[in-house]
Amino acid sequence: MIAKFRGFCVYVIHNNYHTLLKRPVKHFNEESQRLLAIKSSFNAGDQPLASDSKAAQNLNKEVIHHNHLASEWWDQNGPLKGLHSLNQIRIPFIRDGLVSRNYTNKKFIGTSKVLEGLDILEVGCGGGILTEGLGRLSANVTAIDLGESLIQEAVSHINDFSPELKSKVNYKLESIESHSKKNLGKYDAVIISEVIEHIDDKPEFITNCLDALKPGGSIFITTLNKTAILWVCGIILAENVFKLVPEGTHHWNKIISHRDMQVLLDSLGCQVVVLNGYVYEFWKNSWLWTKNTDFCYAIHAIKR
Amino acid sequence: MFSVLRFSTIKNLRNVRTFASSTSNHFDIIIAGGGLVGTSLACALSKNKILSERNVLLLEGAPPFKGFECGEYGNRVSALNNNTVDFFKNIGVWEKISAARFKPVKQMQVWDASSNASITFNHDNFSENVAYIIENDLVLDSVYKELESAKNVQIKNLAKIEDVDLEGLATKSVKLKGGEEFTCDLLIGADGVNSLVRKQMKVDTYTHNYNEMGLVATLELDGNACDNSVAWQRFLPTGPVALLPLNENKSSLVWSTTPEMAKKLQSLPADEFVDELNKAFVKEYPKNEFVSNALRVLDTIMNSDSQSSRQYPPKVRSVVERSRACFPLGFMHSSSYVRSGVALVGDAAHRIHPLAGQGVNLGFGDVKCLVEVLADGVYGGATLSDKLVLLKYEKDRLVHNVPLMLGIHGIQSLYSSSFSPLVLLRSLGLQITQNAPPLKNLFMKKAMG
Repeated sequence: MIAKFRGFCVYVIHNNYHTLLKRPVKHFNEESQRLLAIKSSFNAGDQPLASDSKAAQNLNKEVIHHNHLASEWWDQNGPLKGLHSLNQIRIPFIRDGLVSRNYTNKKFIGTSKVLEGLDILEVGCGGGILTEGLGRLSANVTAIDLGESLIQEAVSHINDFSPELKSKVNYKLESIESHSKKNLGKYDAVIISEVIEHIDDKPEFITNCLDALKPGGSIFITTLNKTAILWVCGIILAENVFKLVPEGTHHWNKIISHRDMQVLLDSLGCQVVVLNGYVYEFWKNSWLWTKNTDFCYAIHAIKR
Repeated sequence: MFSVLRFSTIKNLRNVRTFASSTSNHFDIIIAGGGLVGTSLACALSKNKILSERNVLLLEGAPPFKGFECGEYGNRVSALNNNTVDFFKNIGVWEKISAARFKPVKQMQVWDASSNASITFNHDNFSENVAYIIENDLVLDSVYKELESAKNVQIKNLAKIEDVDLEGLATKSVKLKGGEEFTCDLLIGADGVNSLVRKQMKVDTYTHNYNEMGLVATLELDGNACDNSVAWQRFLPTGPVALLPLNENKSSLVWSTTPEMAKKLQSLPADEFVDELNKAFVKEYPKNEFVSNALRVLDTIMNSDSQSSRQYPPKVRSVVERSRACFPLGFMHSSSYVRSGVALVGDAAHRIHPLAGQGVNLGFGDVKCLVEVLADGVYGGATLSDKLVLLKYEKDRLVHNVPLMLGIHGIQSLYSSSFSPLVLLRSLGLQITQNAPPLKNLFMKKAMG
């Protein structure tokens, strides 16, 4: 029965994959053109939406959902404890990815200043769990988010607990669209960690991220995979049964499979250099790299 | 609105750190206790490329260390295993120790006074040493000398800790007698078996009093002790007595026995004490006929000869004046080694019977592991106080320490009895292990690294 169900899902995924492959590359551009029309809605931030598009409403819902978690963001035993422990694998992933691309100053490799001198943009930083970690490795991090309470929480956390990072980390309440317009080709790396699954218009979003990236720069994405096992474990069990993740955090229809993501990145002029799978061992709150990408995956791609 | 309200309450509850870091009394790491484990931890922190820029404060209650001279041997010695020696090599301390003096042990012989069961531990053809006997003062001296060049470590002597406050979210604070206060991101308790840091962590501890005292002394051996590279240990009904070689004609004594007997031995005139000691190694204790028969049968089955291959330890000629000292023995294990911003190492976390000489090796193992885990965490962008990182240290060490501690505790309990079935069990166990190389190698690997 399970095998059958899995088989069905694989079938669905493969079908999607093939439709995607068959699509002309410019399709994404067309789509982003169409969505440029509603770009103002991405600027939502604190002001009410001007255009009443569905996508914008959805985005707003996501922001509000995460805004409500602001006060619990930094509780290591709280609802976001999984994000805290995820740092133990995602920061080394980003660090080693950047070291392997020779962006880093050789004399800092193997020291706590390994990312010294690198400009990193983190999109959707939330309360800054990943941001502070990168700042602690001496990177200059600009971190943006649309949730006002989240940015407030992030700023107050750095003031209270990590004042030494204030010169390294810069939080902004801003959309990627407006930020990338002002910072074209500025960053050595753009990080989209546990964010893309909350975005409606992925082509548009990734395009904006890439605009802010230097040619040859790295884009790091970590997210859930669109597989049956993830649907059962990652959404139904994690949100509703075991309450590992706050209810309503993830939406199946917004999750993008690793194949679709690769095709998308490829069509936008990126080369995927690393694709890793990872899983959550919730009973000990730790994450593990795996060959299998069925649960979650991390991508490191280079802007050509 | 709701979230904003909650947000402000949380903020008020915070122990804001700006105050602490604005004063010069803030350190990244404070180590409470400058014994063998605490000082070597400071040294290891200064040698690690990732951690060497963190400010470390080492608090020690005693006056500055008086130094070490190669005169008469000290009475407190440790049997360091190969893992510990490798660790010392890595932190640059071994060079100093080996330039002074140390005694490699090529073989250990352990036997039971209530039966003739015995076991010897050595590497094939004595190719490697099983342990190194080194005076504690020499280790301390070498570590302190190495610390002189450590830019990131400050040592504060005569620093008696009055209280530690572990409740602060951002920083932990230490208050000294005399009123001085220091704060830190990470407080490490290396303050021994009565650790104040551990008490303030409010963790459960399991303790057991063996009702035994350890008597130590420095001994001179009778003329022909060959190269004196065997460590001897005999289990008497009152507790184990051990001779650890210091050089060709000197050995160090560790004699675990009842408190009354220990006190008596300590105050005996030197010549009577030496007689008692020599007797302890050769005296025949009543043997259980059944156990002796069982051992003979086992010998036949395993085609070995436990009775004739027995070597005896060298005869003790005299005891060095004023080298006799007593200390109480006990078992203690802390249920947890860490909490956010706090970690325990060495005797502060665990204490065992000296019968296998493992106590201090466990402590150095803690230090090595903690430094590796912290460096890994910091290189991964974590703070020093990150509980997720510290838990890795705890997990690694529990997996290593608990089986070893239970094993040693088990051996101690097993050998403190004269109850025949237990004597039979331990004698057969020892004899089987002696004749089953894989089993023996497993023990050696566990205890000797």
